[in-house]
Amino acid sequence: MIKTSAITKTVTTSQGELSILKPISFEVKAGESIAIVGASGSGKSTLLSLLAGLDEVTSGEIYLDGQGLQNMDEEQRAQLRGEKVGFIFQSFMLVQSLTALENIILPAEIAGLDDAKQRGQDILDKVGLGHRGDHYPNQLSGGEQQRVAIARAFITKPKILFADEPTGNLDAANSAKIEQLLFDLNRDSHTTLVLVTHDGELAKHCERQLLMNAGELSEITLANDALNSDRSDVAEMARAAQSQVG
Amino acid sequence: MTKQTFNLAWRLFKHEAKRGELTIILLAIILSVASVLSLSLFSERLQSALTAKSAEFIAADRVLNSRQPVDQSWIEKAQEFNLNTANQVYTRSMAFSGENMMLVDLRAAAPGYPLKGTVSVAEQPFAPGQAIKSLPKPGHAWIESRLFQNLDLTLGQDIEVGDKTFTVTKVLSDVPDAGFSVFGGDPKVLISKQDLAATNIIGPGSRASFSYFFTGSDADLNAYYDWLMPKLDKELQSWVSVSDDDSAIGRSIAKAEQYFLLASLLAIVLAAVSIAVAAQRYSQRHYDPVAIMKTLGASKAMVQQVYLLQITFITLLGIVIGTVLGFILQQVVVWALAGSVEVSLDVWFWRPLIIAIFTGAICAVLFSLYPLLKLFSVSPLRVLRRDLGATLSSRFIQFLASGGAIFSLMWAYSGNLGLSAILFGSGILLVISLLLVTFALIWLGRKLGKGKMGAWQLAWARIRRRAMDNAIQLISFAVTIMLLLIVLVMRNDMIAQWQDQLPKGTPNYFLVNITQQQLPDLKTHFAQENVDIEHFYPVVRGRFVAINDEKVSTAVSKEDAEAGERQGREGLGREANLTWSETLQHKNSIVAGQWFNSSKPLASGLYGVSVEARIAERLNIKLGDKLTFNVGSEVINTEVSSLREVDWQTMQPNFFFVIQPQAMKDYLPTYLSSFYLDKSRKSDITELMKPFASVTLFDVDARIEQLRGIVKQVSLAVEFILVLVLAAGALVLIAQVQASMDERQQELAILRTLGAKGRLIRASVLFEFVIIGLVAGLMAAFANEVSLFFLQSQVFEMEASLHWQYWFIAPVAGAIVVGALGMVGCWRLLRLNTSHLLRQMV
Repeated sequence: MIKTSAITKTVTTSQGELSILKPISFEVKAGESIAIVGASGSGKSTLLSLLAGLDEVTSGEIYLDGQGLQNMDEEQRAQLRGEKVGFIFQSFMLVQSLTALENIILPAEIAGLDDAKQRGQDILDKVGLGHRGDHYPNQLSGGEQQRVAIARAFITKPKILFADEPTGNLDAANSAKIEQLLFDLNRDSHTTLVLVTHDGELAKHCERQLLMNAGELSEITLANDALNSDRSDVAEMARAAQSQVG
Repeated sequence: MTKQTFNLAWRLFKHEAKRGELTIILLAIILSVASVLSLSLFSERLQSALTAKSAEFIAADRVLNSRQPVDQSWIEKAQEFNLNTANQVYTRSMAFSGENMMLVDLRAAAPGYPLKGTVSVAEQPFAPGQAIKSLPKPGHAWIESRLFQNLDLTLGQDIEVGDKTFTVTKVLSDVPDAGFSVFGGDPKVLISKQDLAATNIIGPGSRASFSYFFTGSDADLNAYYDWLMPKLDKELQSWVSVSDDDSAIGRSIAKAEQYFLLASLLAIVLAAVSIAVAAQRYSQRHYDPVAIMKTLGASKAMVQQVYLLQITFITLLGIVIGTVLGFILQQVVVWALAGSVEVSLDVWFWRPLIIAIFTGAICAVLFSLYPLLKLFSVSPLRVLRRDLGATLSSRFIQFLASGGAIFSLMWAYSGNLGLSAILFGSGILLVISLLLVTFALIWLGRKLGKGKMGAWQLAWARIRRRAMDNAIQLISFAVTIMLLLIVLVMRNDMIAQWQDQLPKGTPNYFLVNITQQQLPDLKTHFAQENVDIEHFYPVVRGRFVAINDEKVSTAVSKEDAEAGERQGREGLGREANLTWSETLQHKNSIVAGQWFNSSKPLASGLYGVSVEARIAERLNIKLGDKLTFNVGSEVINTEVSSLREVDWQTMQPNFFFVIQPQAMKDYLPTYLSSFYLDKSRKSDITELMKPFASVTLFDVDARIEQLRGIVKQVSLAVEFILVLVLAAGALVLIAQVQASMDERQQELAILRTLGAKGRLIRASVLFEFVIIGLVAGLMAAFANEVSLFFLQSQVFEMEASLHWQYWFIAPVAGAIVVGALGMVGCWRLLRLNTSHLLRQMV
């Protein structure tokens, strides 16, 4: 479903060229869920932005469902996102001037689906906010806003879902609910999930875990015994992830 | 465009409008439409009221003056064009009563005269007149007060004019087309046109003028003129309309019209500035939704359509509300003015409505163009990287779009390239100077803002950090203050000039034919009666005959020139008043040469003469030319020693030629003077003049009152327009402060979170706004001075002057107003708790 080969990202700063991602290659199968973990500034979000076609690679190739992003312009990438990709963000990114229901149906409308409203109401019920469709984001709690965001991500039945720290702005209780909801929906709809997080617990729910460290990506197993592993970077990572949850 | 796109745009618009997100931009559009509509609707209505008023001074909407009777078919044709017609014959003739006789201005009116204005009559000489609808019956004559004096008449007695005897049945106080000359020419006698033939004074070669009056709609009048024009003989006939009125009133009205135009133009600019500010804020607040939509797969075209539709919805709503509000606003003004200014409410003018809608639409589209382009360029990556703004940063498009919009609106609206260019040019000058000053200020701030972090340092730090934003904010404050200053100062200068023409105590009576023997007695008598009378002008009847020995036939006094304008050239060359004086008259100024400074003749051996500049230009008279006058059989040769500018709008005797006194010492003059008598003493006038029966008295009170009335009306209208523009300006300032408050919100939240006391934050915001207001006010005073110089000298034909007081008032007022508005805005923010502020920042 996702295939990358030797992608890099370099930005130009006043101090010269800065390499954010070293050549990265990996593959994600359809329906698979992966977590990209790593410390702040390690390049996780940059990788996510490249995979989702929000930004362009400096070199290398990315294929989403067989389509090469590197050959597309912004317009084509937007179209691809509309058709195949869903998003969940740490800061929810809801349109403040639209109601919960309207936020949910926004991608369906952009994609030109006729039954947007019906789908919206259904999925709103599914995330347990059926009675709050008329509320504006600022009238909802953080957890509720993220549930709206999740509903929005699933409304177009995307093949791939990108989630950027989906529980990063939530307390422990709400985090657990959101995790549950996210993975349930993902399982039901057989979506390929790419999750970027600090949170080790959250990462553990995914089938595979990839560690991002200073622009380099490596595959790890973040099992319960990972804390005792001799691989210091993972231990460090896991500790960091634990402290986040705590 | 898909249905979904439209729905999305509509939904966004509906919700945002409900949540107050669109308030500022909507208010800006409403303001622009409402102010332009109310100003131009009001000024069109006022202009039409004033035009109607001015029409009274020519007794019709249009007049055809002819030296011969015109073909009856011309009049019939006018009636076919739905015009009302009337006519009158003017001529000069002698009127006799027993032994006495006098040259009179005979007017024979046909039924229907006057089509505009009224004839007023009295039952006693010099008594206040009452309007009357009828005209003298055949065999009757209505004559002016001073003719009663000159011919020693009472009501009911007879006078003879030509071969016909008339019974004097009324005192003629006023006719609408009397003209504005101080002396009003010879006394008027009004008779019925039916009697004219019986007088036998109109024959081949007689000097008569035939006036044909027309009223009707502008379209009909113009259509008729188009038909008539090819048939007119320029030598014999002239077509007169109200706008040709070059009297003091005509010029005051023309000036007021220009002022309204200027005020409306400035209102447009103010509205444009507020839309620009609001559109900028609107754009910035929509970065997130655009990034979200793009992330969710919206194409660029879709985002563009959604936001262009939104702007269209906002513009339409703004135009609808603005139109209603503008209409109500001007209606309120008209009601408030009712009684002072007679403005008809019956007419609905389409032009202001179209202009207002056009202004709202153009401003909304062109001023939101750049902010929208910026908005469209927002990257979807912003959903992950919150610090990413818009990628478009070319200010060139912004300057081109907004500059082009302002200039084309100004030009299209005024149709006056000069006025638009002056305002636009000073605007550009202001912007450039402000940019320089702002950067200088930032440099200065770096020096001043050093040291321990207090309110003062925080204020400077903010000014420094947002250099470009502050420059733009400063410019918009300064432009607003400058525009308000222009409107304010122009109003002050213009009203002062009008009032100056007719100060309290302006002479309302003129005395002519005071003999040398009567002079001392008259002075004593007036002093005893407590009537101030100062200047006595010596006058000799003379004829101007040659320039450099080349014979001419021309006017000698202002009265002749005015009569000449009405009656072709027939009045030229007759005798008129020549005067002499050692001192320059009040309100006269030398523009070339020198006033007489010795009692000796000039180098050529001739005595000097000072010539009024305009007549000199018309007759091509230059300094050093030899001018020859005949007084009786005597010849007086003079040399032009100076050219004078004369303010013909003062109610003072003025002369085309003032001769060096020594040249006239052998001539026995009569004297001419003027005095002011309060209305309450009007009945004293007969007693006052009794010992001097041979002195002619002119009562110009009615004329002065008429002038005053118009000046008062126009001044009032100007004041109301000033209030409207000030209100528009105040709203713009509020919008600007509110927009800039948004930008400060984040910083205030952080300062609050870090534990800064409300007092420190308030003081720092106050300092910041006071500094900005002060500098904006100072720059506005400078730009105001430059624009006013060009406006007054090039457009308003006024004397340009410096306005030092505004160099002080503008910065202080700027600091106070902007500071206060900043405090109000800041107070609103500080009332919110910190967590709310922080949440709003996300």
